[in-house]
Amino acid sequence: MRQIKTTSTILVSLLLLSSMLPALSIDFRTFDHEGFTRIVLQADQSFAFSVRNAPGQLQVLLPKNADFKTESFSGQNSQLLERVTGEVRENNSVVTIFFKGNVSVSKNFVLEKPFRLVFDLVKSEKIPTAAPGVPGNLEAPQGTPPAAQPAKPAASKPRPIETICIDAGHGGEDLGALGKSKLLEKNVTLRISQKLKRLIESKTGLRVIMTRDGDSEVSLNSRASIANNQQAQMFVSIHVNSSFRKSAYGSETYFVSLKATDPEALELARKENQNQEDPGETIQNDELKMILWNMAQTEYIRESSSLAEYIQNELNDLLGTRNRGVKQAPFRVLMRTAMPAVLIETSFISNPAEERKLHSEEFLDKIAFAIFNGISKFIYYYSTIVK
Amino acid sequence: MTTKTRNILLISLGAFFFAVLLMVVCSRKKTERPEPETLTKTVADGTIAEFIKVKLFYHSESSALLQPVTREIKVPESKEELYKKFISLLLISNNGLIIPVPEGVQLRSIFYLRNKEMLVLDFNDNLINAFPGGTAAELEFVYFIVDNFCYNFPEIKKVKILCGGNENKTLAGHIDLEKPFFPDFGRIKNE
Repeated sequence: MRQIKTTSTILVSLLLLSSMLPALSIDFRTFDHEGFTRIVLQADQSFAFSVRNAPGQLQVLLPKNADFKTESFSGQNSQLLERVTGEVRENNSVVTIFFKGNVSVSKNFVLEKPFRLVFDLVKSEKIPTAAPGVPGNLEAPQGTPPAAQPAKPAASKPRPIETICIDAGHGGEDLGALGKSKLLEKNVTLRISQKLKRLIESKTGLRVIMTRDGDSEVSLNSRASIANNQQAQMFVSIHVNSSFRKSAYGSETYFVSLKATDPEALELARKENQNQEDPGETIQNDELKMILWNMAQTEYIRESSSLAEYIQNELNDLLGTRNRGVKQAPFRVLMRTAMPAVLIETSFISNPAEERKLHSEEFLDKIAFAIFNGISKFIYYYSTIVK
Repeated sequence: MTTKTRNILLISLGAFFFAVLLMVVCSRKKTERPEPETLTKTVADGTIAEFIKVKLFYHSESSALLQPVTREIKVPESKEELYKKFISLLLISNNGLIIPVPEGVQLRSIFYLRNKEMLVLDFNDNLINAFPGGTAAELEFVYFIVDNFCYNFPEIKKVKILCGGNENKTLAGHIDLEKPFFPDFGRIKNE
């Protein structure tokens, strides 16, 4: 009873306090840069927010105690921005960003001291129609901004995501897995990858590179090299699964596991560190260097794991197929990538029912949308840890 | 003795007993894998031979986890011979059980590297040429081999897979084959 009383007192106090909270002072400003327009919402304190997309506009939902320094800001001289308005409603406050023509948000991120919410707008050449029930654009997950984000960046400082590498599995003489109806994995992975590329480019304006854009054979090492050399900040490998068990079905997303090599790898890393401490001693052993490069992915394991979670959640929601979950395995193509990297097994070509689905463009569209949504949510999360 | 000192002593004692308990639990987990059971039997020619009981683990359509089947192997002269007999027995088809190994795959040779506690299995080229593809299939093959060997022979801590006498990058474009595999007993169904 005493506990209930205390809790009630605290709740009442909080309610009273919230009504007495100082107003959240918000100001807008915008800058036109080459190829994009930046909009900044600056506040005198941090705030919880969520983002909602609508045709030709973007809405940012804020707490109701917002105090807008200007209620409307005209983008008269801006290339992509029509205007920004601020409105205090009964339950919340809303900032609406109106676009000029076909515009999409390429990035949104938060900066602190002072607290700023930043949106970068880019021109979209063509905005495809979203599938029913599929979120249309880069969307910030509802909730508290970065202070509440649990993860911290890996040892090396991550860069904001500007380039994504999509890896269509197999190709050329490497057919990948084969379905009973002679459906080839290499063709399905390419179709999904091309759809995903179009979605990312049109909806976010980010740069997308493909390890292959046709029916060509690319070695696993070259796939990683392409991503590394192009300085991609995300690597997404698209595959179709196959099992000795014909009944196996569903989607799963992998990030790399170095478990099998851990004891040896740790020993090599120790040796490498010793050599770095003594500049006079150089490593002559090429094998050692090669093995250490095999561990490039270790720097990004945490981010890769998050990326895998975001994508797998979207696949579960959208495909309505069995959730096989996020898993780890020593994938050769992922090991040498120096960026967050995942491999997605979209469904089972060895399962007759799933193979039939893989013939349908609609199913491939759904897969591409799900992966895109997962990537979008990861980009938002990632932007909050890259400062 | 002051209350403060007594509290510190009690906390220290508690922490000590907790650490001991933790060590006991961990050491039990490590020895969870039983030594193979040995038995002697009179064979056809009237001589007495030594046998070991092994558990062979297989997939089935109804379960992604490996399920055990108990068999006996007559213990040969050398360990390598025992491993050869074991894999021959493993690859014999059982009703309703799935052997995740492509048709025509045969073992070329087998080595046990005592210092590294590593078994090296060299299969013929069919392993790669006839492999159906797919990450799931690759993992099914790898852990079918690795878990079966490591479970039944505690001296084997890891397994390296060769094909046609050579190290290969992958079986079908996914899992790195250049490094040895440690077992993943999480793939074995609890009895």
